[in-house]
Amino acid sequence: MEEVVTRGNKVVYRDGDSLVKVFNDAKPASDVFNEALNLARVQETGINTPDPVSVSQVDGDWALVTTFIPGRTMAELMDENPDKEDQYLMQFVDFQLDIHAHTAPLLQRQKDKYTRMIQSLTDVLDATTRYELEMRLDGMPNETHVCHGDYNPSNVIVAEDGTLYACDWAHATQGSGACDAAISYLLFALTSKERAEKYLDLYCKKSDTPKQIVRTWMSIVAASELSRRRHEADEFLLQWVDVVDYQ
Amino acid sequence: MADATQEVLDTVETIDSVDALKAAIQEMRTAEEVFATFDQEQVDKIFYEAAMAANKARIPLAKDAVEETGMGVVEDKVIKNHYASEYIYNAYKDTKTCGVIEEDIAGGYKVIAEPIGIVAAVIPTTNPTSTAIFKCLLALKTRNGIIISPHPRAKKCTIDAARIVREAAEAAGAPKGLIRWIDQPTLELTNELMSDADIILATGGPGMVKAAYSSGKPALGVGPGNTPAIIDSTADLKLAVSSILHSKTFDNGMICASEQSVIVLDDIYDAVKDEFQKRGAYFLNPEELDKVRKTIIINGALNAKIVGQPAYKIAELAGVTVPEKTKVLIGEVESVDPSEEFAHEKLSPVLAMYHATDFDDAVAKAERLVADGGYGHTSSLYVDVNEKEKLDKHQAAMKTCRILVNTPASQGGIGDLYNFRLKPSMTLGCGSWGGNSVSENVGVKHLINTKSVAVRQENMLWYRTPEKIYFKRGCLPTALDELKDMGKKRVFIVTDQFLYTSGFSRQIEEKLDQLGIIHESFWDVAPDPTLQCALEGTKQMKAFEPDCIIALGGGSAMDAAKIMWVMYENPDVRFEDMAMDFMDIRKRIYRFPEMGKKAYFVAVPTSSGTGSEVTPFAIITDADTGVKWPLADYELLPDMAVVDVNNMMTQPKGLTAASGMDVLTHALESLVSVMASDYTKASSLQAIKLVFQYLARAYDDGSDLEAREHMANASCMAGIAFANAFLGVNHSMAHKLGAFHHLPHGVANAVILTRVMRYNAADVPVKMGTFPQYAYPQAKERYVEAARYVGIQGKDDNEVFENFLKAIDELGAHVGIKPTIADYGVDETYFNDTLDNMVEQAFNDQCTPANPRYPLMSEIRDLYLDAFYGREPSSYED
Repeated sequence: MEEVVTRGNKVVYRDGDSLVKVFNDAKPASDVFNEALNLARVQETGINTPDPVSVSQVDGDWALVTTFIPGRTMAELMDENPDKEDQYLMQFVDFQLDIHAHTAPLLQRQKDKYTRMIQSLTDVLDATTRYELEMRLDGMPNETHVCHGDYNPSNVIVAEDGTLYACDWAHATQGSGACDAAISYLLFALTSKERAEKYLDLYCKKSDTPKQIVRTWMSIVAASELSRRRHEADEFLLQWVDVVDYQ
Repeated sequence: MADATQEVLDTVETIDSVDALKAAIQEMRTAEEVFATFDQEQVDKIFYEAAMAANKARIPLAKDAVEETGMGVVEDKVIKNHYASEYIYNAYKDTKTCGVIEEDIAGGYKVIAEPIGIVAAVIPTTNPTSTAIFKCLLALKTRNGIIISPHPRAKKCTIDAARIVREAAEAAGAPKGLIRWIDQPTLELTNELMSDADIILATGGPGMVKAAYSSGKPALGVGPGNTPAIIDSTADLKLAVSSILHSKTFDNGMICASEQSVIVLDDIYDAVKDEFQKRGAYFLNPEELDKVRKTIIINGALNAKIVGQPAYKIAELAGVTVPEKTKVLIGEVESVDPSEEFAHEKLSPVLAMYHATDFDDAVAKAERLVADGGYGHTSSLYVDVNEKEKLDKHQAAMKTCRILVNTPASQGGIGDLYNFRLKPSMTLGCGSWGGNSVSENVGVKHLINTKSVAVRQENMLWYRTPEKIYFKRGCLPTALDELKDMGKKRVFIVTDQFLYTSGFSRQIEEKLDQLGIIHESFWDVAPDPTLQCALEGTKQMKAFEPDCIIALGGGSAMDAAKIMWVMYENPDVRFEDMAMDFMDIRKRIYRFPEMGKKAYFVAVPTSSGTGSEVTPFAIITDADTGVKWPLADYELLPDMAVVDVNNMMTQPKGLTAASGMDVLTHALESLVSVMASDYTKASSLQAIKLVFQYLARAYDDGSDLEAREHMANASCMAGIAFANAFLGVNHSMAHKLGAFHHLPHGVANAVILTRVMRYNAADVPVKMGTFPQYAYPQAKERYVEAARYVGIQGKDDNEVFENFLKAIDELGAHVGIKPTIADYGVDETYFNDTLDNMVEQAFNDQCTPANPRYPLMSEIRDLYLDAFYGREPSSYED
C-alpha cells in the first residue's frame, strides 16, 4: 500500500483502486462505522462521492475502505494556480449547493449534533455562554438539506475528467445550508479572511441567502470547531463565540 | 374546587432539574387554585405590599445587578427598579382584575376576569431586576403564579428580586410558593418551563422569543429594536441632542427602545454635531470608526463584551483613546445596509449618525434601519409639533409599534415617564412585524382570561308609520288643505294613464288650483313600473322642482313615485346599493339617503291591496336588463297617506279579489312573522277580521260603500303591520310566480296561501326563524288566535286551524281564486324547467328572513309542486 497522507489521527493509503483510511487507536470504532454509514447514505442520494467498500481492521486499527478517485484535491489546485482561484471557488460553491439540494432523512440532525458539541465544552465556555449558544441554536429553523459539515477545498477531489467528488463525510448532517456555509467560511477564515469573504459573497449570491442568516450561525459553528480540540485557533474562535443576540 | 383553607405545599427548595421543576409546578397549581379565589381587596393588598417591598430594595438590587452582570449603571438601574415598582403599582392600583370587571345590567352583559394560571417569565440580562419585579407584580395583580427563568449571567440578582416580591406577597397573605424561579437555568429547563406553563412572558433576543413561540403555549414575546431618531430642521436642537444623550447613556444604552441611529437633515447637521460635542459626545475619525466597527459587531452579531459598557471602555477595547467622561461614541456613516456595523442595534452608548438631504430621505433611511433590525419596535422623531405633514409622513412610514415625538426613546418607550398614555411596561410588544402577538406595551390585561357573559336580549322593535294617515270617505280635499298650511307651492302628481284620463287626478288639480298651488302631472306609470319610466318622471320632476309629490294610484303609481322621489332628492344614488339584501334593516351596510329635504310625499291609494301608502317598500324593474330592484327603507315611508274610499269605487272585480287576497296574505304573514309585536299584531288581526267580513261583499257588489271602506282600511292596516313586522315565504314564493309565470301578485299569494300556512304551522319545523324575540315555533298559535278572532270554532286548536284553512280556501273560491297553479294555465314543462331557479330566488327573497320557519330550498320546492298539481299537502313536520 502506498501512503497518500498522514493526518492527526489517521494515515491514508492507496491500495490499487481503493483508498484505505487507517485510524489510530484513539478513534472509537463507532466513529469509523458512523463515517462509513454517513458515506453510504450520502452516496445513495446521488451526490458524487467515493463508493464505500468496507470497514475492517488493519494491524488492530480500524480502517475505512472506499474507492479511489484519481485526481487532485481542490486545495492543491488552488495553491498551484492562484490565478484560477475565482474559477475554483465558483466550482466549489456550485458543488456545495448541489450537495445541499439533496436530502437524506436518516442522517443525523444538525441541531442535535451541534447541541452535543456545545454541551461538551464545559471546560472552555462558561455556562452563560453555552446557554446563549444553545438558545440561539434552538431558535434556528429546522431544515433537512444534506450538509457536509467540513466542506473545504481539501475535501473536494477534482477527478481527471474535471468531475468533483466530496470525501470525508464524518461530520455530515441534515440541516441548514447556511450553517454548512458558515462552517466553510470559518475554515477559510482560519487561513485567509479575504478568501473567506469572497466565498461568502459567492455562496450568498448563488443561493440567494442573506448574509445575516449565515452570520447567525457563526458563533455556533465556532463553538463546534472549538469542540474538535484542535486548539490552534482557540483565541480566534472564542472571539466569534462571545456575542449576544439583539434585544 | 379549592378553598382558601386548603393546604398549599411549598416543598421543592431548588429547581435545578426537570423533575424538580415538574414537582414545583404541581405544587404551584394548588397554590394557584387558592389564589384564584382571592377577591380584589385581598389581591390589591398583596400588590401594594409587594410593590412597596420591591421599591424599598431598589438600591441593593441595582448594585447587585451591575456587580453580577458587569453591565450598566447602578444609578440608572435604581431608576428602573423604582419605575418597575412605583409606576406599575400606580398604573394598575385601581384596575379591576378579579371577578366582575365590567357590567352592563341593562344590556345583559358582563365581563369576568380569571387568572390564566402559571406564567413562565424569561428575564434578560439587560434589565434583570426591574423586569423580574415588573413581571412578578403583574402576576400578583392578576392572581397568577409565576416561575422565573433567569439568564445565567444575571441569575443571582434576578432571583433576589423575585424573592423580595415573593416574601412581601406571602406576608400580605398570598398563598405560599406562587412566585418561584429556576435556580440553575439551562436551555432544557427553560424549554420545559415554557411547555408546562399556561402563558409565556418572554423578554429577550430573537432566539428566546422564537423558542417561546414554538413552545406551543401562548406567548407574549418581544423582539429586538433598532430605533432610528430623525432630527428635522424644525426641531429644538438642544432638546433633541440632550434627549438622545440622556436616553442613550441611560444604563449604558441597554434599554431596547434606545436610539441606535440619528438621522439629521443637512441644513442643521453641523449645528447638531456641535451640540453633541458640546454635551459630551465623541465623534470618531475614520480610522477610529473602523476600529470601533470591528469591535462592536462580530460576524454581524453584537460583541458581548461591549453590551452595557461605558463609552470610553468600548473605545479602549477598540484601541481608541477618548476622554473618560465621553458620554457617547458617534460614528458618522452613510450606509443603512446591514453590512454597515453601525446600522445595527448596539446595546451600548454607541450611536450612528447619518446625513439626510431632505425629510423624505430621512424617513427612507429610518424605514430601512427599522426593517433591518427593529421591525415593530420603536422609532423617534424630533420636529416642531406643528409640522403636521411631516408627523403624518413619519407615522405612515414607520412600521414600529411605538412612535415617539421629541422624546428620549429609552424613557419614552417604556411609557408614563415622558408621555402619560403609553402604559408603563418593561415588555414592549412589537406586533406581527416583530413576530409578536401584541403590539402594545404588555400589562395586566394580557395576563387575565376574560369571560364575557351575555344574556339573551331582544332587539329594540319599532312601529313606524307616516306622520299622518287620513281616512274616511271624502277626506281627500280636507287633507289637501294642509298642503297650503304647510306652505307648499309646487305639487307634482304621479299617476297612471287611466286615472289621469278618467278624471281622477282632476279633483286633486282643481283642489290645488283653489289653494293657489302650482302643479304638474306625470301620468305615464304602467303596471310593474320600470326604471325607464321613473327616469322619465324624474326628468320632468327636476325641471318642475316640486316641494310636494302626490302619488295617486295603486301600488305601481305609488312605487314609481317613491323611486322618482329618491332620484329627485338624491340624484347620485345607485340602485345596486339601495337594493342590497339585509338580515336586519337596522344593521344594513348601506345607509339610505335622507329623504324629504326637497319634497313632501303624499300617497293616495286607489285600490285596496298593496298598502304602499304606509310601507317603506318600493319595487322597480330595469326594462333593459329585466332586473328587479326591491327597495326597503323607512326613508321611503310617505309623509302623508290619504285613504279615501271615493277613490276606490271603480276597482274591477278581478282587482278587488286579487288585492283583497293580497291584504289577507299581508295580514297573516305579518301576524306570524318573527318580528311581529303587540303593536303589529293588533293591526294584523283587525285586518284579517275585516277581510273576512267585507271582501266577499265588496267582490259581490262593487258599489257596497261600507264593504269598500272597510277593505280600504284593512289594506292600510295590513300595510302598517307588514311595514313593521315584514312578511314571509308566502310573498317570496308569490314574487317568483309573478316574475316567471306572470300570475297577478294577489292571485299568486292566494293560490299558495293555505299551503304555506300549514307549512309554517308545524310544531316541529326543520329550522325556525332566527330572531331573539321568536322564542319557539308559534305560528299555529297565532293562526288559531286569528281564527277565533274571526269567529271560527273547533274542539281544539288543531281543528280551529283546519277550519280556518277551509274558511280561507272558501273565501278564495268565492272571489274566484283557482285551486292550483296549473289552473292558471302555467305550462307544466316550463314550470318544471324554471322550478330550480324559482326555488333559489324565492329562498333568497328579502321577505324570507322574517318567516317564522326558516325554509330549506327543498321545502320551497315541495310547496311549489304541491300547489302546482293541487296535491294533498304532505306533513311539514320534521
